[in-house]
Amino acid sequence: MEPILTADNLTKIFDEKGKEKFTAVDHISFQLYPGETLGIVGESGSGKSTLAKMISRLTDITEGNLFLCGKEITRVKGKALRRAYEDIQMVFQSPAASFDPRRTLGDGIGESLRNHGVSKVNVQKEAVRLLKECGLSPEFADRYPHEVSGGQCQRAAIARALAIRPKILICDEATSALDVTVQQQIMELLGRMREEREIACIFICHNLGLVQSFCDRLLVMYEGKIVEEGTPDEVIKNPRSDYTKELIEAVL
Amino acid sequence: MREDKKTPSVRKLRVRKSHIKTRLVLFLLLTAALMLTVIFAQQICPYDPNAQDTSISLQPPSLEHLAGTDRFGRDMFSRILVGLQTSVLSTLCLVVIITVAGTAAGILCGYYGGILDSVVMRISDVCLAFPGLVFALAIASLLGGGLHNAVFALAVISWPKYARIARSQTLSVKNTDYISAARLAGGNSIQIIIRHVLPNSIGPILVTSMLDIGTMLMELAGLSFLGLGAQPPTAELGNMMSGGRSMLQTYPWVIIGPGIAIFAAVVIFNLLGDTFRDYLDPRNSRRN
Ligand SMILES: Nc1ncnc2c1ncn2[C@@H]1O[C@H](COP(=O)(O)OP(=O)(O)OP(=O)(O)O)[C@@H](O)[C@H]1O
Ligand SMILES: [Mg+2]
Repeated sequence: MEPILTADNLTKIFDEKGKEKFTAVDHISFQLYPGETLGIVGESGSGKSTLAKMISRLTDITEGNLFLCGKEITRVKGKALRRAYEDIQMVFQSPAASFDPRRTLGDGIGESLRNHGVSKVNVQKEAVRLLKECGLSPEFADRYPHEVSGGQCQRAAIARALAIRPKILICDEATSALDVTVQQQIMELLGRMREEREIACIFICHNLGLVQSFCDRLLVMYEGKIVEEGTPDEVIKNPRSDYTKELIEAVL
Repeated sequence: MREDKKTPSVRKLRVRKSHIKTRLVLFLLLTAALMLTVIFAQQICPYDPNAQDTSISLQPPSLEHLAGTDRFGRDMFSRILVGLQTSVLSTLCLVVIITVAGTAAGILCGYYGGILDSVVMRISDVCLAFPGLVFALAIASLLGGGLHNAVFALAVISWPKYARIARSQTLSVKNTDYISAARLAGGNSIQIIIRHVLPNSIGPILVTSMLDIGTMLMELAGLSFLGLGAQPPTAELGNMMSGGRSMLQTYPWVIIGPGIAIFAAVVIFNLLGDTFRDYLDPRNSRRN
């Protein structure tokens, strides 16, 4: 099977004036196949978010190449990048901050459709339908981000990410800001959407326990490098690096 | 959403907020009255502001001529109304120009960065490098005076402030997750700027321009006072005061009248600006 996304030696070096060079992501390579879920775990500061932003091209890639369905998108801009965003979508860690405070959730959910020329009436209908699919009533379309709870907002964020029917969904700690019961509900929602729509998922998390049952494959990151790779069971049963052992101990 | 438990500080905030609202309404009404006067100045002035009648020159205020007459026998009250119109309208024009130009420049610089940012910011540095009014004086006299040139000169020294505010607002908005989300939604830069960056940066800019109306009114009148703004016989508060300055001791009303008008207009605009700022200040409101 052709991989849907290929990361080839992706590297991110922050090189700010007056500061030392800092390699946040260090030659990371992996492949993502259609329909599979790839988990990425690692402690805070290990470069997970930076990697996610590189894959979604929200930050520049210093070195390495990125391929989407065999086409290189490492440095595409403008129209070509916007076309890539029809296939790649993202759910952010802090749900409230990922919606424009001055616009309704419905507006945010429908934005991608509106950018693709769907009429206003149809966008509204679709937003309501998506909200329902994600377990929210239609009235949420008219609410502002500060008028809903974190869990509700994250559901809306998932609805937004799915609106354009992407092939890849990146979840950057999508549940970290939520409490445990809500976390479970959001995981269920993500799981259901993943099955129904056959989306490939990159699931970033710092909690090994959470990804264990959710992912097909697992990458463990430490200081910008991949230190472990395999199915969750393999990784947990035969950890090769000391860092992974620590991670496992923390869960057990 | 209402909270059941009201802590004292919350109640105090509520009181302060409603207090600000009353003030805002009051000053809005005052401003509206001022603006109506300004807009209909030609219609409400009792005499032709430019009609000369030397037989009644330099008369003190009376029921007939509420603010007296000037040395050509023109009715001061009518001239003050029309002068106020000239001053206030050109000030508003100026403020709109610097707000729009400064904001556009600042947002584009902040959003795109790079060479555009460096070039525009260096130009703004040049505009700020000299003491403001002195620079404006130089520009206005270089251009040869006249109301348009005075407005232009003041615009040149005032836009950088707006560009700076807009730029720093844009820089902080640019890195938020909702802008990332807007990119992922496939919006192009212009769409993102108009839909998300501008609405989320405009608050402090509007407050600044409200607060600047009074200052600009003074500075524009100042340039006219120095003969670099509106030229006689156009009635404008600054040049009216300048025309009467030799008569301050003998016929004080020719200079006090326009002075009071400037003072009143500046105070009203400043009060409105201050209240508007307090109203938008997040410390005075509770977002729930
Ligand atoms: N814009 C930036 N400039 C300089 N350094 C940065 C920048 N963004 C991130 N970093 C650094 O890169 C490293 C990785 O950050 P990143 O946000 O990717 O970590 P993370 O694994 O997502 O952590 P967390 O679990 O806390 O979200 C950190 O050490 C951080 O300080
Ligand atoms: Mg992160």
